[in-house]
Amino acid sequence: MKRRTFLQLTGMITASAWLSGCRQGNERLIPYLVPPDEGVTPGRAEYYASSCRSCPAGCGILVRVSEGRAKKIEGNPLHPVNRGKLCARGQSALQELYHPDRVTRPLRRTGPRGSGKFTGISWEEGLSLLTSDLAGLLRHGTGDRLALITPELRGTLAELTAGFMRSFGSSRRLAFELLSPDWLSEANRRGYGLADLPWYDIAETRYLLSFGADFVESHLSPVQYGNAFGRMRQGRNTVRGHFTYVGGRMSLTGASADRWLPARPGSEGVLALGMARLILAESLFDRDALAANGVQAEQLLRRLDGYQLPRVAELTGLPRHVVAEVAREFAATRPSLAMAGESVAFQSNGRESVRAVQLLNLLAGNLNRPGGVYPSTGPVNGGAGSLAELLSLIGDMDSGRIRTALIYGNPVHSVPPSTGFRQALRKVPFIVSFSPILDDTALEADLVLPDHAALESWGDVVPLAGARREVVGLMQPVVAPLHDTRPFPEVLMAVARGLGGGPAAAFPYQSWPEMLKGSTARRMGLPADENFEGVWAGLLQRGGMFETGSGPTETYRPVFGPEPPQPAPPRFAGATGDYPLHLQVYPSTAFHDGRGAALPWLQQLPDPLTTVVWGSWVEINPRTAAGLGIRQGDLVEVTSPRGSLRVPAVIYPGIRPDMVAIPLGQGHRGMGRYAQGRGVNPLELVELLREGEEPLPAWNATRVRVTRVSGRGELVTAGHPEGSYRSDLVGI
Amino acid sequence: MKKLTSPYTWGMVIDLDRCTGCGACVVACQAENNVAVCGKKEIAEGRNMHWLRIERFWVGEYPDVRVRFLPVLCQHCKDAPCEPVCPVYASYHNPDGLNGQVYNRCVGTRYCGNNCPYAVRVFNFYSHEWPPPLDNQLSPDITVRSRGVMEKCTFCVQRIRRAKEEAGGEGRMIRDGEVQPACAQTCPSEALVFGNLADPKSRVARLTRSPRSFKLLEDLGTHPSVTYLKGGGREHV
Repeated sequence: MKRRTFLQLTGMITASAWLSGCRQGNERLIPYLVPPDEGVTPGRAEYYASSCRSCPAGCGILVRVSEGRAKKIEGNPLHPVNRGKLCARGQSALQELYHPDRVTRPLRRTGPRGSGKFTGISWEEGLSLLTSDLAGLLRHGTGDRLALITPELRGTLAELTAGFMRSFGSSRRLAFELLSPDWLSEANRRGYGLADLPWYDIAETRYLLSFGADFVESHLSPVQYGNAFGRMRQGRNTVRGHFTYVGGRMSLTGASADRWLPARPGSEGVLALGMARLILAESLFDRDALAANGVQAEQLLRRLDGYQLPRVAELTGLPRHVVAEVAREFAATRPSLAMAGESVAFQSNGRESVRAVQLLNLLAGNLNRPGGVYPSTGPVNGGAGSLAELLSLIGDMDSGRIRTALIYGNPVHSVPPSTGFRQALRKVPFIVSFSPILDDTALEADLVLPDHAALESWGDVVPLAGARREVVGLMQPVVAPLHDTRPFPEVLMAVARGLGGGPAAAFPYQSWPEMLKGSTARRMGLPADENFEGVWAGLLQRGGMFETGSGPTETYRPVFGPEPPQPAPPRFAGATGDYPLHLQVYPSTAFHDGRGAALPWLQQLPDPLTTVVWGSWVEINPRTAAGLGIRQGDLVEVTSPRGSLRVPAVIYPGIRPDMVAIPLGQGHRGMGRYAQGRGVNPLELVELLREGEEPLPAWNATRVRVTRVSGRGELVTAGHPEGSYRSDLVGI
Repeated sequence: MKKLTSPYTWGMVIDLDRCTGCGACVVACQAENNVAVCGKKEIAEGRNMHWLRIERFWVGEYPDVRVRFLPVLCQHCKDAPCEPVCPVYASYHNPDGLNGQVYNRCVGTRYCGNNCPYAVRVFNFYSHEWPPPLDNQLSPDITVRSRGVMEKCTFCVQRIRRAKEEAGGEGRMIRDGEVQPACAQTCPSEALVFGNLADPKSRVARLTRSPRSFKLLEDLGTHPSVTYLKGGGREHV
């Protein structure tokens, strides 16, 4: 080696040693005694995209995970439904994961049904119990004696459950939800020939007229519409959208309205038709829209002749000039938008009333227009079960035709007892629940095979009425499973494999995530080969498939028959004399239909309008309460023809004097330490109405009477009990 | 000594015309800041621990009745009544204009809570528990406060710190909208907007110049960092 080369080499070695010495040896603040798991850096959080299944709206979420534990949930900014925003229920999904009373392993019942006496068993034993029971059904060729009850499922899980039941030759697959908007898709089918759900362009509208559609707290997609409402008010430079709310009780949504029309319960359809008649009579309608849809204005006006202003005012209990003013404003302010909601639909004449509201959108030319209403696209519901299907299943259970019931969800709490569901369920010899917590349904079960929490699960979530283009959110596990639980779809697949034959052939996939990947690939029109892995990883990172496909193709075209909607006079259960007050049951802001009641954050969240925490209450107008000698916080008894409940009273200025209201969601017999025995379930008061043979989902058509019991209602409110009247003090 | 100045003055705007009173912010705050779960008894005693509450006002009588919602959190006053009364300097003013609370200095005199006109400081009257595995959710960024300590909204100071570190690492200022407290991040109707008031072009600074703006209990001269925008319309009250 030459001297020159030696020096060059030495120089390079020294320089490189010196440079590498510039790096800090210890890059971590916390040195490890025990090296952490792979991919975990102490103090450094990772975010995982997933989807929320706390309600059917299916918002996208990002979960902050630190040291392998989920810490906080945020909205996913890329998700077109919630745009990075989230509601209180979505925030609380963490407590579903870390709930101290979760079922940690499979359970077999040892005491009598409903006693809550269970003994822990292994998964092998649990699965073999279920498999041998189902094998017995197949052996006797009585696969149709198997029933599967779930909430409304959309996406791959709906396919899986359908395939599972088909392989048994059973048609007893019921997807029932009390608050399911199937009344709305039914109204669309009759009104437009499209059995879908609408997508409302609230953000761009100038005049919003809501007939009991509580889009801020429960109707369809609350976070999306809450966001759109903010933009409708202050998102445009010179326009502030006006909002009028119709409904006997001022809901959380109604509280944001500029004008409140407390129409008599069941008269909302008449009000809509009265407004429609006025718009036609004063020629305020959109001529082009009517002509394009082939509707004769004069003919329609003649048919609506029975809805003259004086009669409408009398039936609705609203001043004549107010009805006229709102009708004129609605027709003259374009674009305007009319929405119908649950409190209208859940009356005996709800179906016709909802169609009457649709008529307003036609007259003002709000169909398929910015600021109006569009069809929402995306995969249709995976078989929404109607009330009639539920009652037919109850009949079968009652007559002993159902031998085995697989139940995912909590129908014992959310199906009104007047349907006879609870008694009928007791006659089913073998009940399997998949609840992750011992809820009212799991307490009745013979075998509990606990599902993973949402944040531990794979899945896809198709948002309800989410957008105008296809949106499918994906769920991925953000933490390792906490307990010895197994996902509900995996259990169904394992059972099918154990049975062999038809059921096993129904599932060609190895596992649930494989099936999910396969159905996602199919949805995207791609082959599920190794090239798809990259696409799949990208989808998981983003949180799903957002607004893919060619975009909206369908539009609403009214197919009104010769007759306009004709809402019949409302019928109510309970005679006026004995039961002078209308009962409204409404989904609670915190718990929706009751599924959030187990979570302490939601129990502690003050109800926005009453500020009540940790309990139920009945809302009474101050004048009615004074007449009955009831004061805030008194214990009262609410009696309907079906039964009675004891519940504290809240004096509520925003409700008609002939009405009382109780929120849904409480009154669980199980569901862990935070929900158990807390409050009441108002569904116990609700009577089932029928039209001929056909049952009606008229959950708001029961009358009650209210009597004072004592002064000790144990009502706890976070705000001032009477509600502050001193808003002048703070200057708002 | 280095003078304590900062290019940031954190502030918030709450648009009451957008606010629907849904309560998402309340739960988001509780989740982010390890705020204890309070039972029925505790709340009955008026000892709720929420850092952010939504006041509700009924106005008028049936049928001409209206509701107004007012989210109230620490106003991070520039002349904060809570600060001078603390005997141990647990409540202090930081250079960014935040009204800080040093939990390990606090000896629980509750003078600051008494002196706060907005009643946004909450005191740990009890030891709170997170029955396992509920404690797994606790954020590692924030202390779990023990009994006898006053606590309050910090504008999610842990998020501001993190953003400052990230921005500092890249040698730049924090961008507008880069850091948000949990309440503003989750608010469905985007009623809450957070940002740097020292930057006149930031969204929050532009909104404070709205003709609808007002401060809560303005006449007390506390000079809050939170600006409210009056709810418009509601002309039929």
